[in-house]
Formats: sequence, C-alpha cells, structure tokens
Amino acid sequence: MSREKLGALGLDLPPLPTSTVGSFPKLPEVAEARTRFARNQVSPSELEALEKKATEFWVRTQEEIGIDVLVDGEQYRGDMVAYFAEIMDGFHLGGLVRSYGNRYYHKPVIAAAVTWPGPMTVAWWKWTQSLTDKPVKGMLTGPYTVMDWSFNDYYPSRAAACLALARELRKEVEALIEAGAKIIQIDEPAISVRQEELPFAIEASHLVTDGLPAYFITHACYGAFETIYPDMLGLAVDNLDLAISNSALDLLRIFEKDPFTKDLSLGVLDVHSHRVEAVEQVKERIMRGVRVLPGDRLWVDPDCGLKTRTVEEAVGKMRAMVAAVREVRREVGGAR
Amino acid sequence: MELVLTSVGSYPRIGDAPELQRHRRAYAQWERKEISEEAFRKVEDEVTAEVIREQIEAGVELVTDGQVRWYDPYSHLARGLEGVEINGLLRLFDTNFYFRQPVVKGPIRRKGPILRREYEFARSVSSQPVKPVLTGPYTLARGSVLEGGYRAFPALAMAYAEVLAEEVRDLAGAGASLIQVDEPAIVRYPEDVGLLQEALTSVARARGPARLILHVSFGDVAPLYRDLQALPADVLSLDFSYSPKLPRLVAEAGSSKPLGLGLIDGRNTRLETPEMVFPILDRVLPKLPGGAAYLSPTCGLEFLPRDRARAKLETMRRLRDAYLGGHV
Repeated sequence: MSREKLGALGLDLPPLPTSTVGSFPKLPEVAEARTRFARNQVSPSELEALEKKATEFWVRTQEEIGIDVLVDGEQYRGDMVAYFAEIMDGFHLGGLVRSYGNRYYHKPVIAAAVTWPGPMTVAWWKWTQSLTDKPVKGMLTGPYTVMDWSFNDYYPSRAAACLALARELRKEVEALIEAGAKIIQIDEPAISVRQEELPFAIEASHLVTDGLPAYFITHACYGAFETIYPDMLGLAVDNLDLAISNSALDLLRIFEKDPFTKDLSLGVLDVHSHRVEAVEQVKERIMRGVRVLPGDRLWVDPDCGLKTRTVEEAVGKMRAMVAAVREVRREVGGAR
Repeated sequence: MELVLTSVGSYPRIGDAPELQRHRRAYAQWERKEISEEAFRKVEDEVTAEVIREQIEAGVELVTDGQVRWYDPYSHLARGLEGVEINGLLRLFDTNFYFRQPVVKGPIRRKGPILRREYEFARSVSSQPVKPVLTGPYTLARGSVLEGGYRAFPALAMAYAEVLAEEVRDLAGAGASLIQVDEPAIVRYPEDVGLLQEALTSVARARGPARLILHVSFGDVAPLYRDLQALPADVLSLDFSYSPKLPRLVAEAGSSKPLGLGLIDGRNTRLETPEMVFPILDRVLPKLPGGAAYLSPTCGLEFLPRDRARAKLETMRRLRDAYLGGHV
C-alpha cells in the first residue's frame, strides 16, 4: 500500500494530507521583474533574487496555513511546458497561441531529437526544501503533455515523440531523487485528450518511474476522469490527482463498478473562480471522496495550479481547504 | 475541375510582433475597465478586418471573419440566449484550448440576432465572399450542462436547433450564400447520428437560398462517412487528419454532394507537401459531383501561431495552383 511506501520513504503524513497542484500567483514584484527581464532591463541574478524571495514567501505562507506537502510555487516558471522546452535541447520556442479568454502561451516546436540537458528543476527543489522541514514535492511536466502541447516537426508520430521525451524526463526524476526528493509529481493534464493514445501514455509513464524510489503523483485536469477510467489506473504512479470541484462526478458509482486502486488526490477548489469557497462547500466536496476511499488513501488539493488567481484569492482558498480538512479529520475520526 | 480555397473558422487574433498584439492589449485594458466596451469592440472590428485581409492575401477565396469576437465555440452563442448561464472551463476536444461551458437552466430563447451584425461587418470589409460559421445544435448540446428547461439531452439539441435555425434565417436574409455548421461532437457519439439528422433538418429548413456546409473535425470521420452523406447539408466538409482510411472510403463510396477537403492540418506546424496532398486529391476529386470541391484546413487556425496560420494558407494556395496547373 502507498502508506507503507510513504513510511518506507520516511514520510509521516496526517490523514487527508493537504497539498497544492504546483503553481502560485506570481508576486507583483516578480511579475514586474519578469516583464522587465524580457526587455533586458533586469539582470538574471536580480530576477532570481526576487524569485527566491517570492518562493520563500510562498513556503512561509503554506506553512502558516498548515499545508502538509509543499510546492515551490513555480515563481521562476512561465508555462508548464514551455519551461522545459526552453531548457531541453531539440525544441524551438514557438509563437503565441491562445488557450482561453485573453490568455496566450508560447507553444514549443519539436524541431530535432529531444535531449535532457542536465538537471532542470533540482536547484529550485533543493533551495525550497532547505527552507522548510515539511516535505517539498519535485515537480515536472510529463512526457505525454509535453508532446501534446508542442508542435511536432521532427518525430514521425506523436507516440515516438512522447516515448523519446519519457526517456529524457526519467533522467530528471533520477536527479531529483538523488538530491533527496521523496514525493515527485508528474503533471499530465493532457492525458485524457485522445483515449486511443492512452496505451502509449501509460508506456511512457513506466519509462519515467519504473524502479525508482519515490512516491509518484500524476495530476490530470478537466474532464480526464470520465473518459479514461479505469484504464488510467495503468499509469505507473501511486497517486492520481483529479479535479472534481467543477464536475458532478458520482465517484461512488464509478468506484463501485471499477475499484480505485491508487491513492487519490481530490481537487476541491475551483481555481478558475475568483470566489473563495466556503469551508462548508469544500467539506462537502471532500466528503464525496471520504465516502468512497479511506482517509489514508485520500489527499486534498485545489483542482489545478493557483497561478491564475490573485495572492489573496489563492491564500483564502487554501485556508478554506485546510479548515475543511481539519473539520473532516475531526468528524470522521481520521486519526490513525 | 474547380478547387475553391476556404477557411474553416477561427484565425489567430494576435501575432508575435508587438504591432500584432493590439487585440490582446485592448482586451486586458477592457477587463481592467481602462477602456470602454465600445473602444474594445472597435479593436475587434479592426482586427477582424485585418485577419480577413490576411486570408485574402494568402489566397483564400471564401473567407471567415476569423471568429475574432468568439470567446470560444460554445459561450459566444450561448451568451446570446436566455435560459443559459456560462460556467467554468472545459477542454475543447483534444486541443490545448479551453471553452466555457453553457449551463442550461430554463427554456432557451434568443435575446436577439447573434451573428448577423458580425456577418454584415465582415462582408463590408471583405473583397471576397464571407462564410458565416455556427457551432451546430448537437455539438452545443453535447458541450452544455442540462439543469433545467428540458427533460433530456435530445430535447435540448432540438431547442438549440430552433434558435440556430433563426440564426441561419437571419444570415441567409443578410445575403450569406454559404453558411457553415460545425458538428465535431458527433465523431465521439456516432450512435447519435439520428438525432443530428433531426436537429440539422430543423436548421436546414431555415436556409432559404443559402447552402449549408456541414463541417466535422477533431476525430476520425471515416466510420460516419456514409451516415454524414445522408444528412440535410449541401456540402460536407471533413477533417482528413485523423482518418488514414478516409481517402479510400471516399474513392469507393463516392459522394452525393460536394466535399470540403480538410487536408491542411490546422493543429500542427509542419507544412504540407505535394507528396502528402496530391495522392489524396487524385483519388477523391474524380468521385465528386459537378467537378467542384473546396480545399481547406482541417479546422480553425487559432491553434497555430499567427505566422504559421498564414503559412498554412499560403501553402494551401501553392498546392492547389500546382495541382491544377499540372493536371489541367
């Protein structure tokens, strides 16, 4: 069981551990410095100093709110795929593409063989972990999503691009583990987009994690669940993180038919809404999970990264989440 | 043989150069209430004119307005309806694009014409014919949450069909001679083709002298090809990129109506070559009625960066000219 795995890794987490999906809003001074950095008005070291200060702010904030498993908040990342594409060899940074509303991102282009360039996330992980006694997750974007969110001008097929990326991303996972990371999250928000491609997405997940000593989480986004459950249980990770706050998913009915065999992170905060949820509402969402899985197999987090919210909204939402989790722990006697 | 070059829907509203980012800046200013709604709508007008010009320069003969004003394929129409609220984000099929989901709370009714003014504006700034594009009733219903007003999904699809019929009547009345209806969702639910038929029949009745193009994309259309032939549309426009078997199927089964050949991949940046496109044209064109067809991207081009979108359209024209030039 995964609790045993966590124990073996030296991690002692409360029932219903709380965490977040990865990104936090950029602090205003970081956002401004990033803009000025793009215009060569700020040096890399000045920018990094601000990013570190902001990371420290988010570490203290998570500790103060009472989150159990921390993230670095990705103050130094722009987009979750472009960040890796900018560092890895084989990519060109493509032009701007709209994702929704007025939001645009640089969609990378795979123009040659993709290659791991050496550690991409390890220095930030190490620095963040040095600030806190709470465990900090290693965070990277998975091979299927990097493939799907890039244009492919090089590999003969989408599968070939995905598997090539998986072999390279494994090296990043190994480097994180060597640095001391025990919980590693591999985001695959694109995992459900083409059901017929799930087999090679699963093959890729094995290439990334098989035989490596860490607790692995995969975060998937909107709509993932309905289309690829139970097949997605084949992913080579310990914990699947799913957004449920935006859906009326009847987990009970689904799990009765096909039992959920992994740990489950319940996304219980709507990250696209400005409104801070009432504690009662978050509790209700948590209870939908508690009814179907024991508290030691359930984690609680927001639906997705919080980077699109304001600092106040993000903090308010996390407070509501932790308050709700504490009430549920008390009420359902989640004590071990 | 005539091979008319057409766009399928959306077009990137910004480019990478600062002077091509006017729309994005104005949108942000409008959201922050630094500029008025009218000022933002004016920028939308200008960018619409700009993307129409760009399509025409790239060789497109039947253009769209680029759907510059559309937040997404669902909520743009749903916002014009009573009885519908707009909810959180959902992924659009297998794209990296998110749409806001309509939530149907009660009987749906148009607040007024939704696309007519947009069409009239586009036509006034275009030197080529403009093709208005609507998301179809079946796809709109599939993308919605049904919370009230209708007992079940089929009734909702038929209700959308009624309001879209009014849209089509308005557009035809305003002079649109070709009107495109997008029904990508049917690919995921082929068993619903009967419902699609019923819904489209309602829409098609309103077309008057205009011709209806049914566009199906974002999935393998081959299993549905024969059923699609029977639907009440005048032209069938198909995304070939998911369907290795489709060219053979069309060659064998023929077509009762002119086809729109979506052979230019609107989802990937790699530019098409004669080797990728000509063999399909060789197979398919002789089987089409009237010796006429449309050549198009597989889908709207907003999934590409602006410069690549334009390059795709220019490639499409080069391929068409080379093909017809070599095969006269």
